[in-house]
Amino acid sequence: MTTIRRRSIATMATIALALAASVALSGPAQAFKLGMAVGGDTCCDWMKAQGDVAQALAKQRGWDFVELSNNADPAVATKNADIFIQDKVDAVIEFNGRAEVNPVLAAKFGAAHIPVVTYDIAQKGFYFVGIDNLAAGIAGGEALGKIAKDKWNCDVDLVLSSEGAGAGIVNTWRTGGMRTGLQHICPDIPQDKYISFEGNGQAVVALPAARDVLAAHPDAKKILVVGLNDGGVLGAVQAAEQLGRADDIIAWGQDGSFITGNNVDPHLAGSVFYFLEGYAVYALRDVIDPIAAGKPPAVKDDAGDPASRVKPCPVSAEAAQKIPDTAGRVAALLAAPAGTTEFDLFCPKS
Amino acid sequence: MTDAASTAPSPDVSRMGGWRANLPAGGGTAAIVAGAWLVLIAASGIHRPDFLSHQTVLAVSFTMAIVGILAVAQALIGMSGAILDLSQPTALVLSGSVVAWLLERGVPVPVVVVAGILVGAAWGLANASIIVFGKLNPIIVTLATNFIGTAVMFLIFQNAQAPLKSGFSDFGRTYFLGLPNIWWPMVILVLLVGYLVPRSRYGRHMIAVGGNRFAAQARGISLRKTRFTVFAVSGAIVGLAGVLFAASNGPFAPAVGATYQLPVIAGVILAGVSLAGGRGSIWLILLSVAFLSTVPTSLVFFGFSSNWQAVFQGAILIVAVAIDGWRAKRQQR
Repeated sequence: MTTIRRRSIATMATIALALAASVALSGPAQAFKLGMAVGGDTCCDWMKAQGDVAQALAKQRGWDFVELSNNADPAVATKNADIFIQDKVDAVIEFNGRAEVNPVLAAKFGAAHIPVVTYDIAQKGFYFVGIDNLAAGIAGGEALGKIAKDKWNCDVDLVLSSEGAGAGIVNTWRTGGMRTGLQHICPDIPQDKYISFEGNGQAVVALPAARDVLAAHPDAKKILVVGLNDGGVLGAVQAAEQLGRADDIIAWGQDGSFITGNNVDPHLAGSVFYFLEGYAVYALRDVIDPIAAGKPPAVKDDAGDPASRVKPCPVSAEAAQKIPDTAGRVAALLAAPAGTTEFDLFCPKS
Repeated sequence: MTDAASTAPSPDVSRMGGWRANLPAGGGTAAIVAGAWLVLIAASGIHRPDFLSHQTVLAVSFTMAIVGILAVAQALIGMSGAILDLSQPTALVLSGSVVAWLLERGVPVPVVVVAGILVGAAWGLANASIIVFGKLNPIIVTLATNFIGTAVMFLIFQNAQAPLKSGFSDFGRTYFLGLPNIWWPMVILVLLVGYLVPRSRYGRHMIAVGGNRFAAQARGISLRKTRFTVFAVSGAIVGLAGVLFAASNGPFAPAVGATYQLPVIAGVILAGVSLAGGRGSIWLILLSVAFLSTVPTSLVFFGFSSNWQAVFQGAILIVAVAIDGWRAKRQQR
């Protein structure tokens, strides 16, 4: 009897030890795993920073984080979707500038039942988080129009559009939106004064193209520049500087990439900030946190009725001097209380 | 030191660069390119008389400056028999970004200029080391180092820019005698290198190695030494292009150098530089690059969008390669 009791106690102790060991080895419950595919375009600091911010916020929450780069390549974006699925992530954030492949990504993630947040480029079935690019474009165009009205009474010789066709619909919304905003303020600028060129969103590409366009309009003395982003617009400004026509040109950019810090071109009059690097605050606050808590919100995939809307912030060059550069903004954002956005921190109130 | 090549008969002058050496073959090329250029200017001027303005001259000469310098560097590689240096885009941006980085830290401009050139030379030497010691194909090596270099730069920075409010940047957007400051170093370089290649010992060695490496080796010319010299000099020239690139451009990302690849290669081939090595005139690069740089400006005057530029430059490259092949066959006969 004593032997049997001893054996029972020994068996129970063994089982208890085994259970304790297995609990110790398995650790806490498996962490939520967030995947992020950054854009991977080479144009801008903020693309890399988007991943850095998402990673920092995921770390604050104790989540696992997997970052891949889409390399601005639709084939890579598709391969990345397969990797996320194989890696069994719980949710994905996509910034995929090559929107033509988004339906393929949606089909893959949909079949795997993985919720996806998309930044700025709407896709059916993906939570839309981002700017209203058209509204941002119009805001920038109106800001430029006000300057043109004050300075030249809207009597403009040339309106240059630094397009970035590779950005697809985003380019149409932003650059076209800027023209629309300009027309709101200066409706009488003739259509033949509007000239587009391909700047690819990069100053180095836009510069020679704009130089040729300006050479082909040697008599233009009052020139406005709009475009996809600050880089593309800056190319036109620098072309005018090279041709000795810097005082003839006023430009307004988009995305705020090159209007902060102490190395700003004086002919860039302003830009529309989206604080792109900080989008993860919106995505996590309004979509990913509820998913991680087991309460996924209803999918809102329309840019007009988004899961989370980022506010555009038009800023003059003068006001932009008070806004830190990308690295400084990221540091301030990560030090701010949870849920604080860069718009809250940096957008001038007036 | 007296090496065999110094005492050996000079290489066949018909296979050398330079003004005299390229007649009649170089003269024919010059006539074709000059004719095409004049036709383009005349057609553009007739279509839009305001094409013939100082603004057009500025637009074309700004375009010429960097392309022309890179074309000289590429021509040396081609004439030496190494075919092409496909890592020029990385060397250009690497040099430019080092220049921007040093200027931001207040380093004096002369030191910065020298540093930019040395960075290019070091890049060339790195390429030459891999090619020579690995006994590898130059075109594959430079293709690979271009990828590696660009990727490494991405790991370090996203954008670089020289300080806008500086004498250095002012130099990049102002003029001397009505033409861009950055155009003049290109002209001086073309004239200087075009003069030295057929007349200096290293230049003759380079052409000899490019023309027939075995014959050159038999005459005591060191293939290894020549390759190191050519890549170092070519790299230094790309470094100079990087300095002027940083002076004349706004913010630039690591991959932007690739936009120069097509016009540079087209300019070299159009100038009659044989990619098979041993033949070509540096001086003709002035003409070929002037023609190629006029094309995009002219297209805009004709109402074509800037998207058409690469189409026309690609077509011109194909025509130039066809002419090069035809010329080589004719020489063989």
